[in-house]
Amino acid sequence: MEALLQAVVNGLLAGSLIAVPAVGFTAIFAILRYPSFAIAGYVSVGAFAGWAANTMLGFGAPLAVLVAFAAGAAAGLLCELGALRRLMPAGALTVAIASIAVNLILENILRFFFGNDLRGFDLPIQPDLIIGGIFVGLQQIWNLVLAVAVVAAVFAFLMFTRFGRAMRAVADNPDLARLKGIDPARIAAIAVALGAGLAGAGGVLLGLDTSIDPMTGYRVLLSVFAAAVLGGLGSIPGAVAGALALGIAEELALLVVPATYRTGVGFVAILLILTFRPRGLLGERAA
Amino acid sequence: MTAALIAEGLVAGYGAAEQILKGASVAVQPGEIVTIIGPNGAGKSTLLKAVAGLLKIAEGRVAVAGRDVTAQDAIGRARAGLAFVPQEANVFARLSVAENLSISGFLDPKGSATELEKIYARYPMLAGKRRALARSLSGGQRQILAMAMGLMQQPTMMLLDEPTAGLSPRAAEELFAAVIDLNRAGLPVLMVEQHAVEALRISHRGYVLVAGRNSVEGAGPALAEDPDIRRLFLGG
Ligand SMILES: Nc1ncnc2c1ncn2[C@@H]1O[C@H](COP(=O)(O)OP(=O)(O)OP(=O)(O)O)[C@@H](O)[C@H]1O
Ligand SMILES: [Mg+2]
Repeated sequence: MEALLQAVVNGLLAGSLIAVPAVGFTAIFAILRYPSFAIAGYVSVGAFAGWAANTMLGFGAPLAVLVAFAAGAAAGLLCELGALRRLMPAGALTVAIASIAVNLILENILRFFFGNDLRGFDLPIQPDLIIGGIFVGLQQIWNLVLAVAVVAAVFAFLMFTRFGRAMRAVADNPDLARLKGIDPARIAAIAVALGAGLAGAGGVLLGLDTSIDPMTGYRVLLSVFAAAVLGGLGSIPGAVAGALALGIAEELALLVVPATYRTGVGFVAILLILTFRPRGLLGERAA
Repeated sequence: MTAALIAEGLVAGYGAAEQILKGASVAVQPGEIVTIIGPNGAGKSTLLKAVAGLLKIAEGRVAVAGRDVTAQDAIGRARAGLAFVPQEANVFARLSVAENLSISGFLDPKGSATELEKIYARYPMLAGKRRALARSLSGGQRQILAMAMGLMQQPTMMLLDEPTAGLSPRAAEELFAAVIDLNRAGLPVLMVEQHAVEALRISHRGYVLVAGRNSVEGAGPALAEDPDIRRLFLGG
């Protein structure tokens, strides 16, 4: 029973970290209608930018997350405007494949400058807390708080700002949005900056939890993708729900299968959801 | 007097296929309601889309309140004062009523905020459903919302594509009353309608569009009573 509860808690903590890039992935999909696998590269770029801000400039975790957001957003805009956007006329599949290439390029740029070594953030060692027999790291709780703050900020942006609402309008009905004077190219740029920025912020959150290297983003890509599919591609609340569900499912699976099969959970989740609920857990929109 | 809208000799279509509009023209004078009728597939919706800038035109010109907007895209034409309520998907289904209205004032957040108060006063039903998702509205309520979204643009010219499509006779009557109401307040309206007799009766003028070209035109009530028109298009 305690093992079960521990797995659920661990799953929620891990899932909350995946939720941040998953929201980014789904935001880009909602507007640009292609799955951006470059999100893995943006995660890694953000992770290194946040790490540099932390270890070289002495920034604390919240500021490092902000720096990572900015770096991810900048990388995203550069890749989108410089390369991916030009391929749009060739269709979503072409752009999706090109985004895999963009990921490899970003990963290797990082490798060129930083090498393959694992790097850790420079943070005070935090004790583990034991609450009712459940172990939780204090750092993990801080990470959860940061993840919740980031996702809450995204929701506030989408619900209460002029351009956030315009983004939702374009996701809902791009032609009608154009009739109302909303420029789709501008909204697409905002969506990419937001999505890639979230990926970058997610990179730091994942790095705070463990360590980083140029493959940090690639390693979580499947989970990010699975979380977004689970929630219904293009649905932001869905991506959050999908990430938490996936996090819990992965931890529960570890109770019965060896750790090497952990990533298999993502594949199984994608298969099941596409077979039985193609619109995602919350059923918001067809993929 | 400058016409509220002039569209002249429009030739337009959907890409490679044959052009749908083969030189159609309409004009709307200030203060007028003008209705376009015609058989299914005549190109009525295509005409409104071409006027609104959703469709590239191969030939012809469009002017709004005396300003040539032929070179402008849909956004430019919205800026020039055109509001277009399409036949389908004319609200943001997953946004609330209040959000649908506020986003429709995107180009002028300040001016449209004042407009919003007037709209809620004019359509109390919308005020009562501010928080409801647009997709939860009935057909009649949705059309009112779509028209109100057009008003949030503070237009000088309103284009409506089949505003009464799929409505009960009673809801259709209410919608026509709302159109008359707006027009009395000074807004010129160009609409496409299947309920041809009812629409022509409330219109100053009407056009009959056949196969992408103008056929007959005349005063609305006269067209509504014309036996040839009734026989050809209205099944009467
Ligand atoms: N998006 C599109 N792509 C290709 N062809 C289209 C498109 N929309 C309409 N058409 C074609 O253009 C022609 C005119 O269509 P349009 O919708 O303008 O007719 P309409 O007069 O509005 O008819 P209805 O009374 O049925 O609304 C039709 O033959 C239709 O098949
Ligand atoms: Mg039509």
